[in-house]
Amino acid sequence: MKKFLVTFLTVLLGGAIVAGVGVFNAVQGEAPPVLVANVVGTKTAPSGEEMPHAELYLDVYPNSSSQVPQPETKSPINNVLLAGQPFYHPSTSLQVPSNSLVTIHFRQYDSGGTIYNPYFAKVHGTVDGKMKWNGKEVSEIKPDEVGHTFTVHQYPESTQPYFFMSIPLPMNPANAKTDKMGYPVDPQIISVTFMTGEAGSYVWNCEFPCGDLYQEFGGPMQTRGWMAGTFDVVDV
Amino acid sequence: MSTETLIPEEPEAPTNRPPSMRRVKLWLQRPYARKILILNVVIGFLLLPLAWLLLAGMNQTGAPASEIMKDIEQTVFVFTIVSIPITAFVFAVLVYSLLGWRHVSGDEPPMQDSPAIRTNTIGVILWTVASTLLAMFLVVWGLVELAQITANSFGSIAANEQPGQKSAEIINVTGQQWVWTFEYPEHNGLTSDVLYLPLDRPVYFNVTSKDVIHNFWAVELGVKVDANPGAITQTGVTANKLGTFNVRCAELCGMHHAFMQTQIQVLEQDAFDSWVRESGGKKTS
Amino acid sequence: MSVDAAVETKTVFGSEVPQPPQHGAAGGVMRRLNFGTGLVGGIGLATIAGWITAIITPSSASSDTFAPMEPTYVYLAVLLGWFIGFMLGMGAFVGPLRWVVGRDITHSDAEYMAGKDLGRKRYWKYTTDHKVVGIQYLIVAMLVLGFAGLLAMLIRTELGMTWTSLFTPSFYNSMIGTHGIAMIIGMIVIISGPLGNFIVPMMIGARDMAFPRLNALSLWLFVSAVPMLVSSMFMGGIQDGWSVYYPLAAQAPPGMLGYQLTIIVFAVSTAVASVNLMTTILTMRAKGMTWSRTPIFVYGIFAASVMGLYAFPFFQYAQILGLSDRVFNTSFFDPLNGGSVWLYENLFWLLGHPEVYVILIPSMAVALELMPVFLRKPLFSFNFAVAGIVGVVALSGLVWAHHMYMTGWAPAANYPFMLSTELISIPVGFLVLVAIGTFWRGTAWTRLPLMAVYAVVFNKMIGGVTGVYLSDVPADQYFHGSMFVVAHFHYMLMGAGLFGAMAGIAFFFPKMTGRFLDERIGSIGLWTAFIGFQITFMSMFVAGLQGQPRRVLNFDDQFNLSNWISTIGAYVIGIGMLIFLSAIITSWRSGVLASSNPWGSKSLEWQTATPVPLENFPVLPVVTERPYDYGVPDPYEAELDSTDQDLMEKAGTK
Ligand SMILES: [Cu+2]
Ligand SMILES: [Cu+2]
Repeated sequence: MKKFLVTFLTVLLGGAIVAGVGVFNAVQGEAPPVLVANVVGTKTAPSGEEMPHAELYLDVYPNSSSQVPQPETKSPINNVLLAGQPFYHPSTSLQVPSNSLVTIHFRQYDSGGTIYNPYFAKVHGTVDGKMKWNGKEVSEIKPDEVGHTFTVHQYPESTQPYFFMSIPLPMNPANAKTDKMGYPVDPQIISVTFMTGEAGSYVWNCEFPCGDLYQEFGGPMQTRGWMAGTFDVVDV
Repeated sequence: MSTETLIPEEPEAPTNRPPSMRRVKLWLQRPYARKILILNVVIGFLLLPLAWLLLAGMNQTGAPASEIMKDIEQTVFVFTIVSIPITAFVFAVLVYSLLGWRHVSGDEPPMQDSPAIRTNTIGVILWTVASTLLAMFLVVWGLVELAQITANSFGSIAANEQPGQKSAEIINVTGQQWVWTFEYPEHNGLTSDVLYLPLDRPVYFNVTSKDVIHNFWAVELGVKVDANPGAITQTGVTANKLGTFNVRCAELCGMHHAFMQTQIQVLEQDAFDSWVRESGGKKTS
Repeated sequence: MSVDAAVETKTVFGSEVPQPPQHGAAGGVMRRLNFGTGLVGGIGLATIAGWITAIITPSSASSDTFAPMEPTYVYLAVLLGWFIGFMLGMGAFVGPLRWVVGRDITHSDAEYMAGKDLGRKRYWKYTTDHKVVGIQYLIVAMLVLGFAGLLAMLIRTELGMTWTSLFTPSFYNSMIGTHGIAMIIGMIVIISGPLGNFIVPMMIGARDMAFPRLNALSLWLFVSAVPMLVSSMFMGGIQDGWSVYYPLAAQAPPGMLGYQLTIIVFAVSTAVASVNLMTTILTMRAKGMTWSRTPIFVYGIFAASVMGLYAFPFFQYAQILGLSDRVFNTSFFDPLNGGSVWLYENLFWLLGHPEVYVILIPSMAVALELMPVFLRKPLFSFNFAVAGIVGVVALSGLVWAHHMYMTGWAPAANYPFMLSTELISIPVGFLVLVAIGTFWRGTAWTRLPLMAVYAVVFNKMIGGVTGVYLSDVPADQYFHGSMFVVAHFHYMLMGAGLFGAMAGIAFFFPKMTGRFLDERIGSIGLWTAFIGFQITFMSMFVAGLQGQPRRVLNFDDQFNLSNWISTIGAYVIGIGMLIFLSAIITSWRSGVLASSNPWGSKSLEWQTATPVPLENFPVLPVVTERPYDYGVPDPYEAELDSTDQDLMEKAGTK
């Protein structure tokens, strides 16, 4: 009987180790807290229908500073490896209401350059195929003046509506006037409005090579909390 | 390998043993031989539904949507059928070893040793011939099917060099972390993140990557080829079924690899044309 | 032992043998070194090296692609410091150093290194005795497999929780990469390490391995590599699968260095071990042990060594180039600067495919080795078994590009590689024939080791048949990169490989520990794991057929059901493996005592005492017979023969 006790304890201990490591690692996960787009009123869709309207504010910073702290991460190594890298603020885990019009306001503080694929210098997936950039309505920007992009794409589920949206965020010119933190005094202001369908889970990432290593697509480009995140459409 | 011998030298072959055909007949009269053969057949028939179940699994989302996929499924079907007899035979021996031939489970080895069969010429030759023929069949089948599929997708031959295929649609497929884009160079460089295909018309893909290696897998069409940085791989397909299908990246390409998926819309020619018009692509040819 | 002018003699088995002159005194710092000093040396040197590197590297240092280089340099220094410090602290360099300063190892030092009169302490030291090395290999390999199994459980948990995500994609990717390479390393070692070292020298009637100190070196190189691999998980991880294809690997965080150095060190370890095993088998077989009298397991280990010896350098070379790309900004694998991604894929699979057989052949060989003992009959067609192994070795180096059918690297090469890949099913088929031929009409003594063989043959069959689909280019056009592939190679490497290792461990357990592996608990563990295994990977085949790509943590709802089933099965495997582990632990400590030859085997390793004395045999054995001389004359044949005689008599009287 004693040996069966040992067997039982081994299984128990093994299970406990797996669970422990699992929980530890899950807690260590890099995804920052969820940023919810709150419904602020109603707005008229192009079809003439009145829809709930939600708003979201996102900033893109070239690096952290005393004014803008790094993304909240429980993975200590990321603070070392991703120091001085650009990131979306205040969160990359986004949540928007379903069957609504959602407006996202971006303030883009980073420089930029040429994007690999001009497709992502165009606006895709907004209500009128346009975005508002510093007060002007545009449907695309120059492919060699891109700062970042906000590209939401399909989550591999056929049970939810197809959703694709890509917003190019123009770069700040190299000679832009900066404050003492090094951020442009007049960041690029972009706002887009898009319509959400039924609930679903999507992901987004930046398509402008703003990371490090090969093709500058390592580091922040492949870390949630920096240049990639989740985009959940939920029923409210 | 101990120093003492348990059995004497094998007896010299008698000069007048029955002829081999008769020995096979005698062998077939042994009870275990018949039972194993019956078991073999039974297990074989039990495994047979697998051939259709495998295809049912593959067809869940609407495959086959092209001749290529049909060829692939045919290959899977034939291979399953061909490997069932031999698999069933091995399983039959395993089962009969435990249930038919004697077995003991105590602390001591069996009281008596088993028959000292060092080899069996007929059995060995049969197995070798059968497995070689089988392997050869698979090779030949594979080569023929591969040639067939290569012909269907025109392999590495540039799409515009195809004879008699003037109406073919060329699509430049670009993989990049972690989105697919599809450019229609004949339609004013029209680009899309969903793959629209005209029905029953050959389509050639020039596949490449902006960064790491991806794999362009049009699941229900049976198209799969790596998207390599700095190189163009070519393949093609003729979709012959209307519907919504899947493109999935089948080569690990970083964080959002799992999300590098998109739709394929196979449309009737006029629906395809009107999509082209609405999306701002003009027919330039 | 003192150094006198007179020639010293020593009594060896009753006769006076003059001893060679000794240089220098026995003893020295070597006798104070053990695993503890190794750890202290490794951690100490790692800390110092990392600290110095951190000081001398400006924190602004970055590559021309903006990657901060300081973490890379520091991590590299830490890994190298750990490696050198650990090997120094273990005493790996004592022999060469003393040789350099002219104080060669004395005879008593050699005996000390072999662990003479050291008791349990010898398991914690740089011990040269092949039996100690075998046990050490067993423990370390089980630890590595346990670590990889832990990751497997977490991976399946993530995949089973289809409604949410437990881990981020980056962490998930790093788990699958680390799980893969740790399993591969553990599986390569789990038979050739413990059984190859402990059993093979005894099986061929030798006193030890040909190069005992190299034997210890191969083990401790392997041990030193394990923390490097584990540490990479804390440096961003290996997010690129176990194959770490470039250029994706060039985007990986510094954790990739842990992978690269692990492989570089592990390749040296396997090379040393392979050369040692091959030399031992070639030159140290007992008198009379001709090739036709050499047991099949020895062939299996020899074959694995040959394949490891030519395959691993490709892999090591690829990782050295990758390391150079990362640290020195070269561009071997950078396609935008003239490098080639296909070069990496080729180098990788030149290892990758032979390595599958490095795992499979020893497992098949150990199954064939123990079958005659439990079926009390000779191995069926020994020559075919040898032909099968030779055929696999010969073809194993010619099939690698079947992993690259879909790369577009060389479409024309798909034809010959399809041919060679399907041809390899013929020699593998020989091994299956030998197995079922040995089962044929045998009275099965259904002890745990034999039962595991049933599992091996069953899994091997399924793995083999599904492998045929993948060897075929048209079918691979659907299955490549899907879960079908994952299920297939788990059937091969785990279903055939790991269950074969379990058979081998259960079989040789009485010789290695002097006790039986607990039959009840061991069987419960084995069959629980077996059932869980079928559940997990059968439904993974389904997921692959439905079109689920591999290495994805989120997938379409249509794959949910098969993934739930897979996850449940995986937990069953986990429980089964833990039960089997507990059988090993309890039996090792307080199992039923076994005699020196409890299975009634005729093989040499069972003819010596248990526990096995230091040099195995009091008198070296002489082999006079073929192996596997079990069995009684075949009654059917006897009947046939007597009929013949009757016929002859009749003919005579006529
Ligand atoms: Cu960016
Ligand atoms: Cu991809």
